[in-house]
Amino acid sequence: MAVHGIIRSNLDFKEQAMKLPLREQAGVVIAAASGRIDHASADAFNTALEPLLKDCVGAGKPLVLDFSGVEYISSVGLRALMMASRQAKGQKGVFAIAGMQPMVQEVFTISRFSLIMPCYMNVDAACKVLGS
Amino acid sequence: MSTPAGISSSLLDARQGRALPFVLLILATLALLFYEATPLSKLRHAQFDHYQQVMPRLRASEPAIVVSIDSQSLERYGQWPWSRELMAKLVQQIHAGQPLAVGIDMVFSEPDRYSPQVLAENLPGLPKAALSGLSDPDTLFAEALSAGPSVLAVVGVAKSLPGARQPHKPLTLLTGENLLEQPVIRFPAALASRPQLEAAATEGLINASPDKLNNSTDRGVLRRVPTIAFVDQQPFLSLPLEMVRQALGEGTRVLPETNRHGMSRIHIGDYSLPTQSNGELLVHFGKPNAHYYLSAADVLSGVDSPALFKDRFVLIGLNSTALQDRVITPLGDNLPGVDVHAQIIESLLSGSAAHRPYWLPWLELGILLLAGLMMIGTMASLRPSTAILGFSGLAGGLIGAGYLIFYQNNWLFDGASIAVLLSPIFVALLSHILITADARRRLAESQLHESREAAARVSGELDAARRIQMGLLPDPASLFAGEQRFAVAALLEPARAVGGDYYDCFMLDGNRLCLAIGDVSGKGIPASLFMAISKTLTGTLTRSSSDLGEAFRAVERELDRANPEFLFVTAFVGVIDVNSGLMEFVCAGHDAPLLRRAGVTSKIDTEAISGPPLCATGDYPFVSGHCQLEAGDLLCLFTDGVTEASNGSSMFGAERLAEVFAGSINEPTLKAQVERLRDSVRQFEAGFPPADDLTLLLARWYGQPRIQAEI
Repeated sequence: MAVHGIIRSNLDFKEQAMKLPLREQAGVVIAAASGRIDHASADAFNTALEPLLKDCVGAGKPLVLDFSGVEYISSVGLRALMMASRQAKGQKGVFAIAGMQPMVQEVFTISRFSLIMPCYMNVDAACKVLGS
Repeated sequence: MSTPAGISSSLLDARQGRALPFVLLILATLALLFYEATPLSKLRHAQFDHYQQVMPRLRASEPAIVVSIDSQSLERYGQWPWSRELMAKLVQQIHAGQPLAVGIDMVFSEPDRYSPQVLAENLPGLPKAALSGLSDPDTLFAEALSAGPSVLAVVGVAKSLPGARQPHKPLTLLTGENLLEQPVIRFPAALASRPQLEAAATEGLINASPDKLNNSTDRGVLRRVPTIAFVDQQPFLSLPLEMVRQALGEGTRVLPETNRHGMSRIHIGDYSLPTQSNGELLVHFGKPNAHYYLSAADVLSGVDSPALFKDRFVLIGLNSTALQDRVITPLGDNLPGVDVHAQIIESLLSGSAAHRPYWLPWLELGILLLAGLMMIGTMASLRPSTAILGFSGLAGGLIGAGYLIFYQNNWLFDGASIAVLLSPIFVALLSHILITADARRRLAESQLHESREAAARVSGELDAARRIQMGLLPDPASLFAGEQRFAVAALLEPARAVGGDYYDCFMLDGNRLCLAIGDVSGKGIPASLFMAISKTLTGTLTRSSSDLGEAFRAVERELDRANPEFLFVTAFVGVIDVNSGLMEFVCAGHDAPLLRRAGVTSKIDTEAISGPPLCATGDYPFVSGHCQLEAGDLLCLFTDGVTEASNGSSMFGAERLAEVFAGSINEPTLKAQVERLRDSVRQFEAGFPPADDLTLLLARWYGQPRIQAEI
């Protein structure tokens, strides 16, 4: 039953728009991602990121993704992050990730995504560095 | 569509196939309005007759006795008609028993042939004195009749026959009841008994209304008899009702109850029966019974005592095969006509008769219209099986309701005819449903066929793509056949037909073995195309450049030049000098390979030099690392299709891989070991579809000279 539950939640993910609740702390826009970012949910993740990235420009506020609620990220999810990071860089915006769980941290370490985008231990650490 | 089914469906398709059923409903309505003019009326009569056959009137008491002039009587007392003297004797015997009333189902319109008058005419030679000494038999009969309540028969005739005349004793009705305005049956004249006899008795009509002899299957079944009718403006009761009136006393009130549709009921004293608007009674017959039949011969001879008649109605009638007075009842019985009178007396006393109230035909019409419109409105949306079941239920319900209503109220509700009239509508609607369903099925079939063909085409193309992709991967067994310095085994299983993983192994020159593994983000066709490019570029550029880091930088540049989808590749490439065991390697975001050395499993240390995946940044300054292999070292290169294989709740993981890797070390060949690793992953997935492509590559360096595998 648990197995079915997981499958269904994955399917639901695919169909639902992903929600990235926003808040602001010390002049930093913080978007909280959650769940699994994999093949099924990557498109929704991209769609949800799009408007946030638009505002992530040199003169704008830094954007930090709070990853404390993310349980898993697959290569497709990494690709979404890579594209986001490239876009932000192109606009001279600041884009960072904070509060990764150990498993996600491991994926970042292996794939060296930590070299591509700034990663912080938690949101407070990110705000300390990026905040005004 | 140009098929015949298409043509007929287009006919029925007019206004969603409702035009034809609607016309049929109008025709059905007309048929029900003029039902008696249609052949279907036989169905109705058969249905009503069947009600009576299933539920005949119960005959609990026998208030009437029939004294029948039967074959035995004719045998003993001579040919019919009998003399009035004999009739007088018979009536005397009956009146001696003080019956409630005596009814004689005969008309005595001519003088007796033994009356002095007739004798004198027929035999002119007879002496007048002898004739005057004879008593008149009619006088004797009249005397006998006047001894008690007696009723003689009157036959209403449609034309004035010779000898027809107006009977003398019409019914006195209360003023205010203007029965003449009602649609009650009228006869211009009647055959009545001689005035002399009329004076001694009262009179009742014995006309019945058998159905017309239109064909042999419905031979004049007697279903209806008038309760009251006019003979030349004068009202007369039927014989059995007149007998009851006589029994109740001369002053008994007769009250025909009327409404604006005509008569509805006739009251005689406290008794009453429902009637049709023309005053006819729909007789509810009981099963015939011989109990109450007495032979006139036995009555005359005194075998049957007059005491039998005490407080009973007595009918005198003919019951001999030679004397034709028989009727056929709805029960299918062939009865003496006089039996009908006895049954009507029973009906009146128990108040039970079949009845068809004036509003019942309108109710039937309403049900027909309602059911018809409901069918036309709803059937198109039903499945054929539901429609058939629904209509069967409706028809069964209507027919069953007829029986139930007859059982409850003795009302004659014709549910069967409604069901019959609805059936053409049902057939038209059902045809439409079936034709539509058939067309839909054919369409679905052709669509399915098309989609199957399309799927087959795609699958054929995918098969070709898969063959090409698999063909890109080298077969280490044939490539390194006879190789003594090292051994390589690899396998790749895409999650779909094609995938984004790749591996490679080849000799850069006589001494340098190149091993490569890569994983394009995503899977399926997009990943497979990128995989092909990546593998080719990696192979080519590794061969042409002296430094691996430089080669990777070139690969990234080339890949990134045309990468509109922003795909990226994780990759690990190692180049082993098979003589010295020195390995140069470069890593782009890929899992570090496992290393088995002297019974211990570790990882190649890529941390210092590993960069992000190829194309993640586009210009990462990759550099290579080095490590010295020892003889017998076993390398395991893998993609995340292994470590991230899922069983729905957890992932296979790097630790489990290390365990299985160590556990499978004693397999006889690398090929067997790599297959065992793959089997462990599939076992772990336990039927879960693989989420990603799975690639494994094992390579062992034997050193020089060759050393046997570790213990």
